Parts: sequence; structure tokens; C-alpha cells
Amino acid sequence: MTFLPILALFLGAMIALAMKLPAIPGAYGQYLAVACLAGFDTICGGVRAGLEDKFRTDVFITGFVSNVLIAFFLAWLGDEIYINLFLVVALVFGTRIFTNLSLIRRYVLTKWQDAHARKRLQAQAQAVVSSQPEPNS
Amino acid sequence: MNPFVTRINKQSWVLPVSSMCLVLGFMISMAWVTQSTRSSRQNYLPLDQRQRVNDLNGDQEAVQKMSTEIAKLQSEKTRLEKALSNHDGESKVLNDSLQELKVFAGMTPVVGPGVIVTLRDSPKYAGTGLGNNLGVSPDATIHDVDTLKVVNELIAAGAEAVSVNNHRIAGNSSLRCVGNTILVNDVKIASPVVIRAIGDPNTIMGAMNMPGGVLAEIRQTDPNMVQIEAVKNQELPEFVGNTTRKFAKPPKDTK
Repeated sequence: MTFLPILALFLGAMIALAMKLPAIPGAYGQYLAVACLAGFDTICGGVRAGLEDKFRTDVFITGFVSNVLIAFFLAWLGDEIYINLFLVVALVFGTRIFTNLSLIRRYVLTKWQDAHARKRLQAQAQAVVSSQPEPNS
Repeated sequence: MNPFVTRINKQSWVLPVSSMCLVLGFMISMAWVTQSTRSSRQNYLPLDQRQRVNDLNGDQEAVQKMSTEIAKLQSEKTRLEKALSNHDGESKVLNDSLQELKVFAGMTPVVGPGVIVTLRDSPKYAGTGLGNNLGVSPDATIHDVDTLKVVNELIAAGAEAVSVNNHRIAGNSSLRCVGNTILVNDVKIASPVVIRAIGDPNTIMGAMNMPGGVLAEIRQTDPNMVQIEAVKNQELPEFVGNTTRKFAKPPKDTK
């Protein structure tokens, strides 16, 4: 179930390959690449919100679409007005991806450790219970 | 009312994230650099990254492999032409003039006396900067322009055939720099640059060592950067670069 997003990622790529769409050349390819960065950041943010139990579908979907479009058009705008906003977009979303991924790692690690600790404590409790003599005997 | 209040209501995140992942996968696949978009995308990279990308792609190896293939085919072609000319006198005359032209165009290996000029980066200033190249005096490295000037000078001095690091200089050869390496006929070469020329060794030696000449200019920075020696006999490889033409053709009225 948790691997569904990764599966979907590959499936999306497969669909594009199967449709035989040509890869986008030149400057627009660059803009789309930076938009992909924004999309990836939003996905990471969504996973993080899910792990924090704060996930809301409407926020996530609108966030994805708007982030992608903003990244694309900011990079485009930067080239129109001769300011390297492309680098700014790449920097901001790169930083956010790092933050989001590190937080996801912490949540997953904590969850895993908690589960481990719970199992150990349960085993201990079981041992204590079974070592005590039966009260009725 | 605070619009940013976090309403805690558990919703499953897996399905929405998966659906957007589908879109992202599609986008990444469209933005991926493929063989057809590589050259147009590469123009937007800064110089240092462009070089890293080039090193990663390993195209040089493919070029090397294809060059040996071309060399093999060309020698095979020469052999066949010669075999054909053995049959009668007329085709022998034709073939002789063909072989003459091929030698002139640099399409065959040639042997003869000449000189070897070796240019290397000066060790005097190396490693004085932050990185390997940063802060090093730009004069201490051999540039494409230095190589170009030496080749030009050799041809002007009467060299009949020239090669740079075993890449033959022919009619449509080019020498240019990419990052901190030199491209000869679009193949990357590394320092030291060994330039071989076939011609009268004494004449060429004299012309190259002329005061105020191109070698003297480099020697001003560090005399060790230039080494020139005459040789009795050496072999230069044939030109294995691109020989296909798209636009140039002889005018119609010449026969």
C-alpha cells in the first residue's frame, strides 16, 4: 500500500513512453525539469503531512498544481526579465525536498522504533505473567 | 477567523499522493534528457556542469571505437582500389591520381622525416590555487589557441602533414577548447599535447625557434613547457573525422 506512489511514478513514466511523446527540447525542457522539482517537493510534503496525520486532499492537489505552474512560470519569467530565477526555484525546492525527506525519515524511524519497543515490552510482560505461579493451584 | 487553522481530520494520503505521482512520473519522463534533446538542453548549462555531463556520458569512448572502425574501412578501401587498378592501365592511372589526392587530403597514413613538438602545462604554477585550476596563472596551461598557433606555424613552415595527439589535421579539422580540455576533430585530448609534423626537419626547426615566434612566446612563461625535436622517420595516422557533406558540392559546369 505504501509503495503505491512509487509504483504510480513509474507507471506515469511508462505511459509517457508508451504514448511515444517526444522529450521536450531546449529552454522549455529546462522549465519543465524545474517544475518536476516543485512537483517532487509537493509529493514529499504530502507524504510528510500524511505521516503527521495532517493530510488534506484539497490542499495537496491544489498545492501540487500551483507549485508546478509557479515553478515553470517563475523560471520562464526570469529568462524574460534577465534574472536567474531558474536557480532560485531550483534552490528553494531543493532545500524543501531535503527538509521534507529528513522529516519523513524521522517519522518513519520513530514509528519503527516505537513498534519495536512495544513488541519488546509485550514480550517482557508475557514472560513476567507466565513465570508467576497460577493463583488457583 | 484564522484560515490557516489545522483541522485535524484523518484522510488517507496514499491515493491522492499516488495520483499526483502518476502526473509527476509523466512530467519527469517528458523533461528527461534524451539523445534527441541533449544538444539543445546542454546549451543552458554552465560550462563546468556541461563538462561533467560530457564526462559522464562516455561519448568519447564511442568516438574512439568508431574512429578505429573508420580507419579499418579506409585501409580496406585503399586495398580494394589498388586491386582494381591491377587489371588495366587506364584504371591504374585513375587510381594513382586518386591515391595522390587521398594523401593530400590526409585520408591515408603517411611516413617521413619531421619534427615533434611537445607542449605541456607548466608545473611551476600548478597547485598554487584553491583547486587544481583555480588561481593558477592562465598562462601556465596549454590552451587551444597555443595548439592552434603551433599547428598554423608548422604548416606555414612547410609541414606536409600534421597531427595533434595522433589526430590528423586535415581540410575540415578544428581545434577548440571545452572547459579545460582541448578538442581536436571533436575528440577530447589531454595534456601533454604532442604535435607531429612531416617535412624538412631543418627548415621547420629553424622556423619554429624563430625569436618572437609562437614557441618563444610560450617559453617566456616557462621554458619547460615547450619541447621540440627532429626525427628521421615517423608515421602519422589518417584523418578519421567526419567526411560527410550536406551542402557543399562542385558547381555544375566543371567537369
